[in-house]
Amino acid sequence: MPDVEMTTTEEKKPENKEEEQPAPQPISPAAEIKNNVALIERAVSTIEPRFTQRVLRTLTTLRKKLTAGVLRSAIESIFVKDNALKSSLLAWLPEASADEVSMEIDSTTKSGADNAKPIPEAEMYIRLLLIHFLLAEEDTQEKALELANETAEKMQALNRRSMDAIAAKIWFAVDRAYELAGEVADARPMFLAAQRTAALRHDDSAQAALLNCLLRSYVSNNLYDQAAKLVSKTTFPTSASNAQLSRYHYYLGRIRAVQLDYSGAHTHLQQAIRRAPPPKVAPGFYQAVNKMFVVVELLMGDIPDRSLFRHPVLEKALKAYFDIVKAVRTGSLSEFQTTFNTHAEQFEEDSTHTLILRLRQNVIKTGIRRLSLSYSRISLRDICVKLHLDSEEDAEYIVGKAIRDGVIDAKIVHDKGWMECGTQGGGYGPEVSEAFGKRIAFCLDLHNQSAMRYPLNAHRKELLAAEGAREREKELAKEIQDGDLDEDDLGPDF
Amino acid sequence: MSQLKALYEELGRTFYSKQCDLNKCTALLSKLKIGLIEAGLLLPQGNVNLGDLVVARDILEIGAFVSIRSRDVPSFDRYFAQLQTFYVDYSESLPASKREYAIRGLNLIRLLTQNRIADFHTTLESLDADVIAENPFIRHPVNLERWLMEGSYSKVWNAREEAPAEEYKFFVDSLMGTIRNEIASCEEAAYESLPLKDAATLLFFPNQSELLKFAQQRGWEVDLTGGTITFKRKSEEKIEIPKQRLISASLAYARELEQIV
Repeated sequence: MPDVEMTTTEEKKPENKEEEQPAPQPISPAAEIKNNVALIERAVSTIEPRFTQRVLRTLTTLRKKLTAGVLRSAIESIFVKDNALKSSLLAWLPEASADEVSMEIDSTTKSGADNAKPIPEAEMYIRLLLIHFLLAEEDTQEKALELANETAEKMQALNRRSMDAIAAKIWFAVDRAYELAGEVADARPMFLAAQRTAALRHDDSAQAALLNCLLRSYVSNNLYDQAAKLVSKTTFPTSASNAQLSRYHYYLGRIRAVQLDYSGAHTHLQQAIRRAPPPKVAPGFYQAVNKMFVVVELLMGDIPDRSLFRHPVLEKALKAYFDIVKAVRTGSLSEFQTTFNTHAEQFEEDSTHTLILRLRQNVIKTGIRRLSLSYSRISLRDICVKLHLDSEEDAEYIVGKAIRDGVIDAKIVHDKGWMECGTQGGGYGPEVSEAFGKRIAFCLDLHNQSAMRYPLNAHRKELLAAEGAREREKELAKEIQDGDLDEDDLGPDF
Repeated sequence: MSQLKALYEELGRTFYSKQCDLNKCTALLSKLKIGLIEAGLLLPQGNVNLGDLVVARDILEIGAFVSIRSRDVPSFDRYFAQLQTFYVDYSESLPASKREYAIRGLNLIRLLTQNRIADFHTTLESLDADVIAENPFIRHPVNLERWLMEGSYSKVWNAREEAPAEEYKFFVDSLMGTIRNEIASCEEAAYESLPLKDAATLLFFPNQSELLKFAQQRGWEVDLTGGTITFKRKSEEKIEIPKQRLISASLAYARELEQIV
């Protein structure tokens, strides 16, 4: 599922419409980078992470516009003086044609003269763009890995809180670089060390990104044991962005499903779907989560909604799962087996293969339940024939187990060799309140989680405003005083 | 190192000989493990000679088999954990071991008999799909688990003699104990009464006396003259209303509602 991860973290939701004012006329990517750098500088000088967030939100769209020329001119304009740093950054870019460079530089050098010494955050931002640029081309991926390693090292040495948001993005890029190079396992010790450092520095955004990178690397290598241990030993920062939280829930859901904790998996996958970016923006992630969700629902003995399979984004991707749902619903083992065999390749690709194999018993249970509902008395031989079981003996054990597990309300009369089905319960037992309680809890949870959110540090702005007002007041008072003095001073002369 | 080699050869001789002396093997193994630690091979790190690693792996594998034969499951657990490093982290550089899947399969059976189904599946997930489908050592525990889960106990019973390796049979007894208890709990729920003869067949008891002993353990009413077992029906117990839970649920709703308004 290579496209899944790409789309998850890169999606940017315009949380604040005001900030997303579209530029009146399209500005050149190089100028956009320059503006972004200015914004980052402002964020650092005013200690206001909001500006950095705004810059990073444009990363996805900007990434698609990156070319060697754009990056070159951006670097030229930001780093005015020729120094080692500038040349080291430029060295990563392939040689560009001369006219392209000169044309872009002319327009930007003058305006860039005021910030002669860019802050480290700006450098990191440029490096981030560079990594993404190098990753886009297959033959420069090796270089990207090299740059990613160097950047990660430098970033950790700098240890600046104002860099956290950018750092999170860089970690993701580093992970991506390792993955494309096929060396995910080698990166794990580095990520684990970085995660510890991030936790100690209370660097929430980097911690969230790193945890997800680690989980992803474990899960993709089927190391569920290690993944589960990592989850139990760490706490996911609550202030992490929705996209990261959604990914985290997705991985948790997968781990829990493998561990047979289906209700846990169900909750996590539901959270992942709810927090996921809109399906159109990140279809890969949405499809992957829903695939798992369908399988887990089936394993829990529920049948997913039909409407889910009509969703425009999901319809095609979930075709195989739809067929499996149909087979489980009819409770036919043979149909289940043929469906499974026809789509085996896709299940293996989605790594839901073993989970779906576990469904076999659910198919049998559904079959027995259907029989128990339609017949008041049925011989074990007929059960055996209808469910395609191997022997009557097996049928007896299977029915016995179904009764014990509470799947059906029936009893077996051994001498006569039949199953007698009890009447359905009146539906007024304590289990009704339990079912209600579950639904109410779900609604309350939904309400609590979608409650109003306030922007981080919003109160600071008000404080600042209040402080400003007080300052002005003071000034006014002083001016009045001064004025008074002036008049007093001047008074006698007149 | 030369001493280690001599010990290793002796272990090989003892282990592969006709009458395998388990006590001697265990004694040799503990010496060898100290040797491995001194040579830095028990938990290898960095670049180590591949030949040495193969020897270390061999020693640990023998250790795993020896602990199964002497029915020391915790010790098998430790050997298996140590072998993981060789099977997972060095899988690319080392030549594949012939015994790898036999040991992995044994580990799966062990998890199954201890009823650690979650761990069973977690472990299974780390294997390739074709290995699960093709390899006889792995297929055996996988099939057992599937039959146990769907309730085809007779298949489990019939498969007990088809173990792919000698060591698998060490787990058969405890596995049979597990399925007997499973069947018993199913019978309690599914039947009102059962003739003694049929109960014995269903529970795979060869004679009546064992069945009677088992029935006593589970507290079944045995009618020897009529030759039947009667099970207590759970549904006849009076259904209690869970007051405590209902009250706490209502209070929780009230609290939540207050928060909303």
